[in-house]
Amino acid sequence: MFEIGFVCIILTYAAIITSISVIAFRTISIWRMPVHLRWELAPVPGEKGKDSYGGSYLEEYEWWTKKRKKSIAHELLYMAREIFLLTSVRENNKSLWIFSLPFHWGIYILAFTAVLLGADALFSLGIYTPAVILAYAGYSAGVVGTAGLLVKRAVDPNLRSYSAFSNYFNLCFLTVLFSSGLYALIATDRFAYHVVLFISALIHADFSPAIPTALSVHIIVVMLFVIYLPFTQMIHFVAKYFTYHSIRWNDMPMNEKMGRAIAALMGQSVSWSARHVQGGSEKNWIDVAQEDMKDEKDDKLK
Amino acid sequence: MKKTISLNDISKEGDDNLTEIDIARLVPLPPPYDKIEEQPAWKKISEEQKKNIVCNLDGVVSLSLPRPKDEAEEKFYVEKFVSGLKKLLTRENNWPFLQPLILSVEYCAKCQTCNNACPVYEESRKNEIYRPTYRSEIFRRLIRKYTKRGGRWLSKFRGDDIDLNWTTITRLYELSYRCTLCRRCAQACPMGLDNALLTRELRKLFSQELGWAPRELHEKGTVLQLKVGSSTGMSPKVVKDNIEFLDEDFSEATGIEIKTPWDREGADVLLIHNAGEILSWPENPAAFALLFNAAGVSWTLASEQVAYDGVNYGLFYDDVQLSRIALKHAEIAKRLKVKKIVMGECGHEHKALITVADRILTGDLNIPRESALTFLENIVFSGKVKFDPMRNNFPVTLHDPCNIVRNLGIVEPQRRILRYLCPQFREMTPHGVDNYCCGGGSGFAVMSQNNFKDWRVSIGGRRKFRQILDAFSDQPSPDVKKYVCAPCSNCKGQIRDILDYYDAYRKSGILYGGLVELIVNAMTDLKEPFIKLDKD
Repeated sequence: MFEIGFVCIILTYAAIITSISVIAFRTISIWRMPVHLRWELAPVPGEKGKDSYGGSYLEEYEWWTKKRKKSIAHELLYMAREIFLLTSVRENNKSLWIFSLPFHWGIYILAFTAVLLGADALFSLGIYTPAVILAYAGYSAGVVGTAGLLVKRAVDPNLRSYSAFSNYFNLCFLTVLFSSGLYALIATDRFAYHVVLFISALIHADFSPAIPTALSVHIIVVMLFVIYLPFTQMIHFVAKYFTYHSIRWNDMPMNEKMGRAIAALMGQSVSWSARHVQGGSEKNWIDVAQEDMKDEKDDKLK
Repeated sequence: MKKTISLNDISKEGDDNLTEIDIARLVPLPPPYDKIEEQPAWKKISEEQKKNIVCNLDGVVSLSLPRPKDEAEEKFYVEKFVSGLKKLLTRENNWPFLQPLILSVEYCAKCQTCNNACPVYEESRKNEIYRPTYRSEIFRRLIRKYTKRGGRWLSKFRGDDIDLNWTTITRLYELSYRCTLCRRCAQACPMGLDNALLTRELRKLFSQELGWAPRELHEKGTVLQLKVGSSTGMSPKVVKDNIEFLDEDFSEATGIEIKTPWDREGADVLLIHNAGEILSWPENPAAFALLFNAAGVSWTLASEQVAYDGVNYGLFYDDVQLSRIALKHAEIAKRLKVKKIVMGECGHEHKALITVADRILTGDLNIPRESALTFLENIVFSGKVKFDPMRNNFPVTLHDPCNIVRNLGIVEPQRRILRYLCPQFREMTPHGVDNYCCGGGSGFAVMSQNNFKDWRVSIGGRRKFRQILDAFSDQPSPDVKKYVCAPCSNCKGQIRDILDYYDAYRKSGILYGGLVELIVNAMTDLKEPFIKLDKD
């Protein structure tokens, strides 16, 4: 029979490896997608002197002759507001925001606490008390947020009719995760100390740490979630980078490098079958785009 | 009539409408437009029409899709739809939008944060089928079910199974033309996802795989433009004749000789109008000619096929047609050896040629392209032309075309002109990048089949009409003439239809026009006002 500490350690290693691998794979898959046509959307933050009202460099007379003035600070500020205050949700969906905000802050606080305790495991900083206070705040916020989101999804017809089983399952999982953490925090004597011991065991590949039962259960729930997470749409923190930087804010004009990539893409064959496209294995995008328009009279429904 | 409509209902009871529109239930308009009985009655689709065309969504028919002959034909198109779904997800067939599509398909959190940003959904009093996510979620579920390994089995397990049949695809086809692609919902999405993009991808699937597209955008739009030269049907000879006539007419009216240059090689500027202006709002191209000549601009129009019409309806429904037209525009500019192309007052021309097609205009086709608004601003503040702002001393408000403002971020140049030249300029609420679509976006302004015009004016354009009335609420009397400045052809077409529909000139004294007309109206060289505020 395995000791519970052994299970926790093995599961944690498995979770870290799985999660990093799958997230990396999915990130690379998105990153390697072909250059797309421009599809930017104002406001694009960072345009100096213009981003307060959503203006772009295209407002300049003969914009191609001017040097663009970008402000990274403005872009970072926009991102920080979106990440830490969930500005879009607050402005457009306040009744969801009141639960979504504590849920996200629960994660942020707990992630920060884990980093603190990890540092403690390495450098013996003696920061148990602030860590416990943060853990209380993080778990409580998480429980309130996820339970609120779960109830709202179940009772609000706007959300309910669009929710699949997986949406409820994810929220239930998260509620159990935060609740088990809160319970472990309350039930475990010297909670932070035991977490530090567990992290030390991880660092030193000690496969038989002594972990109190409540904390072990919490660790198992967390690690199962960490394994599950990258297979779901909950990794929107990765996707969001691309939806913003690669699409909404990508207003970069055509350049030589892009031109080469596009030329290669235009050389691919097209198989759309509508009469006006008439793709096939012999035709590529260049052929199709340069073709003269033919009569389509026989293209109607027969 | 069912009270709540579920996602699964899209595939059920195919001959019945999924919902019906009751104009009395729409968000009310302010007086004197608040009496339902005084509003035009909607055209009904007759039983005879229903025998021939598909009418199964909301009682509105924008597309006149013929009913299928038999089950084999239904099956044929359903299978085509599935093959189109698969092609949308391939690098070869959909590289132009693969990344945006996949992100928008895979990462929706179902939070519905985007809903209230949609004027169509809001003004319809939240009709379920107009919810921005209704169409997207069905599309998403069909993609998961029919293109992913084990999708059919998994969709049953997940409980998000949607049947795919003739009813599903025909309703989705019609439903893809209930969104103006204004992208307000995309601005609201915390994940950065884009329902408008999904709608356009759906339209593209129908067009590029099934050969289904609105007649006005395809046969009479891009196909006509590529074959004859313009979606208006004007050939090069006709367009030259028309412009010559306009030059004479406006020279006589203004007392200033107007001469439009054609095919001038090496000119600084190739101006490309939306050719619809020449037929529907001739004062617009005339004003451009008058102003450019007064400012001493070296410019030209091009008479080669396609180059005299900036329209590119491919932007709304088809990547292939979009590319074909954009390439023609650039090739002709290259042959004329112009230094830059300036877009006329046409929003979708701006978006198609300045940004969306930017990355297919490689090598020497990448000719600099600029908005008319920045170009006009440069002229107005250059000191080359003298203006008297008091000539525009009447209430003016500005409509922000989505394709210029929300999509390109060109917000201030037009405002700087109006603040300078129009003493009574006032903003709509909201405005700038938060503006509302006129309701004619994504090609709707030129689509009027059956009763679609009733829909696009009453629902699509309702918020815009309320915004216009609100902007002029301090001077509601029809005796005070008021001007809605809409620097976009499609928006002008839609605003014209809204104002006509509600008889707003007679009841409130509201008229509309472009930006360049206001600029020319303020020119001190003109003896008579260029803008005729009094229609009578």
